[in-house]
Amino acid sequence: MTMLEMGIASFPILLLMIFLRAPIGMAMFLCGIGGLYFGLGSSNMFLAKLKSETYTTFSSYSLTIIPMFLLMGQFATLSGMSAALFKASESWLGHRKGGVAMASVGACAGFGAICGSSLATAATMSRVALPEMRRYGYSGGFSTATLAAGGTLGILIPPSVILVIYAILTEQNIAKLFLAAFIPGILAAIGYVITISIYVRLFPDAAGTRDPVPYAQRWRALFDVWPVLTVFGLVVGGIYLGWFTPTEGAAIGAAGTGLLALISGNLTWAVFKESLFATAMATAMIFFIVLGAGLYNSFLALSQVPQEMSNLVVGQGWSPWTVLTVILVFYLLFGCLMDSLSMILLTIPIFFPVISVLDFGMSAEHVAIWFGILVLIVVEVGLITPPVGMNLFIINAMDRETPMSETYKAVLWFVGSDLVRVVILVLFPAITLCLLPS
Amino acid sequence: EEVTLRLHQFLPGQANVPKLVLDVWADNVEKDSGGRIKVARYPSMQLGGKPPELMDQVTDGVADVVWTVVGYTPGRFPSTEVFELPFITSDARAASRAYWEMFEKHMKDTEFKDVHILGTWVHGPGMLHTKDPVTSPADLRGMKIRGGSRQVNMLLTKLGATPVGMPVPAIPEGLSKGVLDGTTIPWEVTTALKVPELVENHTEFTGAALYNLTFVLAMNKGRYEGLPDDLKAVIDQNSGLEFSVFAGGTQADADGPAREFAAAKGNNIITITEEQTQEWRALAQPIYDAWVEDMKSKGIDGQALIDEATALMAKYAE
Amino acid sequence: MLRIIEKLARTMVVLGGVVLVLLVVLTCASVIGRSLNGMLHSDLAQSLLGEVADWLINAGIGPITGDFEILEAGVAFSIFAFLPYCQLHGGHATVDVFTSFLPVKANKYIIAFWEVVLTAVILLITWRLYAGMLSKMGNGETTFLLQFPVWWGYAASFVPAVVACVVGLYCAIGRVAEIVTGRDFLPKLEGAVH
Ligand code: NA
Ligand code: NA
Repeated sequence: MTMLEMGIASFPILLLMIFLRAPIGMAMFLCGIGGLYFGLGSSNMFLAKLKSETYTTFSSYSLTIIPMFLLMGQFATLSGMSAALFKASESWLGHRKGGVAMASVGACAGFGAICGSSLATAATMSRVALPEMRRYGYSGGFSTATLAAGGTLGILIPPSVILVIYAILTEQNIAKLFLAAFIPGILAAIGYVITISIYVRLFPDAAGTRDPVPYAQRWRALFDVWPVLTVFGLVVGGIYLGWFTPTEGAAIGAAGTGLLALISGNLTWAVFKESLFATAMATAMIFFIVLGAGLYNSFLALSQVPQEMSNLVVGQGWSPWTVLTVILVFYLLFGCLMDSLSMILLTIPIFFPVISVLDFGMSAEHVAIWFGILVLIVVEVGLITPPVGMNLFIINAMDRETPMSETYKAVLWFVGSDLVRVVILVLFPAITLCLLPS
Repeated sequence: EEVTLRLHQFLPGQANVPKLVLDVWADNVEKDSGGRIKVARYPSMQLGGKPPELMDQVTDGVADVVWTVVGYTPGRFPSTEVFELPFITSDARAASRAYWEMFEKHMKDTEFKDVHILGTWVHGPGMLHTKDPVTSPADLRGMKIRGGSRQVNMLLTKLGATPVGMPVPAIPEGLSKGVLDGTTIPWEVTTALKVPELVENHTEFTGAALYNLTFVLAMNKGRYEGLPDDLKAVIDQNSGLEFSVFAGGTQADADGPAREFAAAKGNNIITITEEQTQEWRALAQPIYDAWVEDMKSKGIDGQALIDEATALMAKYAE
Repeated sequence: MLRIIEKLARTMVVLGGVVLVLLVVLTCASVIGRSLNGMLHSDLAQSLLGEVADWLINAGIGPITGDFEILEAGVAFSIFAFLPYCQLHGGHATVDVFTSFLPVKANKYIIAFWEVVLTAVILLITWRLYAGMLSKMGNGETTFLLQFPVWWGYAASFVPAVVACVVGLYCAIGRVAEIVTGRDFLPKLEGAVH
């Protein structure tokens, strides 16, 4: 068996392991060292590589941003900002038909601006918004689906852990990716709001109503969200303007949200420890996957799979748009089963070289950024597509009364809105790229 | 019998050194071996790890051949730092020749005993590229500068600048975002990094370069020794003194077009005269003293290395 | 036994977390120092404050030297310190759609099997980390700016890595024992929040 054949054969083996419930990072780790062992006929290489690989991965400066963002998200959760955001958004929208659901989406978008992770956004906002939606007579499935979809704004609106990983894998500028994600993120929120208004017209029983609140109260509630705007402006603005590196920005964000949490009085030692446990869990999981993916990708590079794959696709003479569509559909299908980070780490080293040689009539950098945003969106759709959608699980676990099937049914409407947005962004790259300096 | 050598390095395949030096070396090896040696090229750290790991990778056999900056692993190859001292090198060919000679004499069986070195060289003159013009050492006060080597960082600190540590690919962003006010780097790299678009002033020195970096092309020792004698001969005839001078010279020659590009853009190229350079050199004396002291603690006669390097480079300079 | 292991894993998380928070503070201090340094060097500050500005600069108002290097070594320690807790609570990402169709018993076997393999991987990683530390000790490599020996970072990470091995071994043995005895030795599985 040649190294190339071994590289190709490693895919089904890896998938089999993953589908047999092997931890994903470990499966990639084993396929990586297995490939290096059988490919080179000796254990010397992987044993030598492992001497520095783990430490180097865990101490990589560009990756240090990840625990910082996760800590920032945890502190944001404790800062009381989720309640303030929901209150502000609810006082303006709550009296409309489906208004409390719309308000939840708005609050998720706001929270996404200070939280780099989707599941943290979904979980945090659910704690605040779910009881309110149920109180105003919103149906179970509709409520959980709204929050599951709203939670994806945590990653679609910058800052975002997935974009950081994409930036590192493809050597793109993190600040530009954050900027490019902004309009698509807002579009996502608008899309969800439209979805909600359609849904409540089709299923009037799914949502209750309530009286409008006076304007004075609305303005006051809106004013109360200034800390969110400050932290978001400082972190994303500061990274973009070059006041600091992305990692430094994340540290400032963690410090800022930490201060907010302290001021709000929620940050006791016991609570602080709880937030560390959550940060630890997510950090260890992510870095274990990154480690496994790093080894697996070295093996793939050695076996020349990415180059051959790229040559093969180019040799077919397919139109760039066909290739792009195939890749995006692949992500959507896989997203039904796999976790978004693993998918990115596993596939970007293979797909990115393919995309970067195709001619979309744009500069290489613009293609890379545009493709990154599209991938971000399609893998995030995976968080809410049944059967395996992490956001669905998290929220369903918080609302035991609602059967999973109800959530599945209602969330398909939001998946539909995601698909429409993907099509729009594919057809009009300018929407993604217009904020970037030319 | 066919042999495939994995050549691993940190720059993209189209960059100057991979294209003009490493590919030439690899093609020659393939040709001279009658196709019995194949060099598989892995640019941009494709085999994993970070650039500082390259030395370990070749020692341990993760890669068979690596090209690396010796300064990426500070403390491991202290003698090579003599060529990184401020204002010690001038001509890259002369310096690369001296480097190889001193490598064979002092470093081959000590610091580099775990690898088989194929070539040793330095780049063209290291210089300053800044937003505000630098004509005298005082102009550097308060500037945030990315220093290319440990020694130049110390000099920058001495002159009142703030050295910022960042990898080469981060330079354009650092400059465009104001994290940096300038950078040290030879001309050759400036075009790819868009430096002439980001700063308007370039400060060159006459007679001696602000700083330099040392490179090696290194091969796994066991891999080399395990080759049949005729293939070993192919490697030998493509490495050593001649190759080192070729590599250093080629890299320095790439400075010319980059300089012309900046000049054509209308940028301000400041040339520090030979006398003025001597003034800068005098300010760098404490760096020399500290280095000699540091070498003493490692049991190396630093002053003797400085004297030898200076004498050899003077001898080989045209 | 589970209580001791749980305590051990939690202690590591708190240690790693405190280090992480200290790194956040260090990074912020460095950014603030760098900005102030830039301001003090500005023409405005120089003309308004003159000697005071220079005095402040000489007093060390500026970025923290080697902040990146401390951050890198510190974050590596934190991540190693987070590993045991993640394994103990089944936090590693898995796909269980397909196995969920299998009987409960089969799932128990599968989970125990991967737990053993995962522990083997953690042992392998720790062993190689130790080898890496020895080779960095032998070759005298230092960091770029602070010039502290690189092996210090490896050594700091090695401590939590050993804890991860201990916890891993407990998890592996515990999962197998659960099958054999039918009793529970590990916390109930929970999904990771990421
Ligand atoms: Na976000
Ligand atoms: Na899914």
